[in-house]
Amino acid sequence: MDAVRLQVDDFSVDQEMTALRATSLRIGGIASFTGCARDFSEGRDVMKISFDAYGKMALAELNRLRTEAIEKFQLIDARIVHRVGTVLAGDQIVLIVTGSEHRVAALDACHWLIDELKARVPIWKKEITPEGDSWVTPHP
Amino acid sequence: MMKILFFGPVAERVGLRELQLEHRSGMVLQDVVTQLKAVYPAAFEIVCFTAVNETQTRDMQQLLNDGDEIVFMAKFSGG
Repeated sequence: MDAVRLQVDDFSVDQEMTALRATSLRIGGIASFTGCARDFSEGRDVMKISFDAYGKMALAELNRLRTEAIEKFQLIDARIVHRVGTVLAGDQIVLIVTGSEHRVAALDACHWLIDELKARVPIWKKEITPEGDSWVTPHP
Repeated sequence: MMKILFFGPVAERVGLRELQLEHRSGMVLQDVVTQLKAVYPAAFEIVCFTAVNETQTRDMQQLLNDGDEIVFMAKFSGG
């Protein structure tokens, strides 16, 4: 499996962790972030969330983020998976896994990656609710 | 011809995900913006980012070539 993917299907956190750990026995700390689809947002029940992406650029930017994170935090490895298409409330949306020799770098990189992903990757989220569908305006 | 792509909320406001624009010699990005803004004003209210051939740009005087792919995008909301 590629370390960076955009995909319709769900991902397995265990499989991604295993893949990361397989890259090096030097890894002493692994951090992860999983973004999930909430069933309530802005005062409304949310049944589904739909993700649209400028695929080519999104994948290129995700790869760039991984490379930057590895250099900036001296990670041993990192993996990023983001789903596109429609997910149900409760489903997984995005996974970031980082591995480094020591815990601080892995934790800091994980935090940095999700913040940068939200700002830099051309993906758009639409919430599907009983009151209608609406594109999400990102939180500052 | 140049390929103009839209995604997410911009595509919804345009009502299309793709259209073709004739390229003219000396055309710059601003020319495309001006032309499309006149037809799709609501869409361009939310355009925050532009990419030409998969590279983001803020240079509205960027010279365009026949076959270029241009994308107008709203603020991202992934993650």
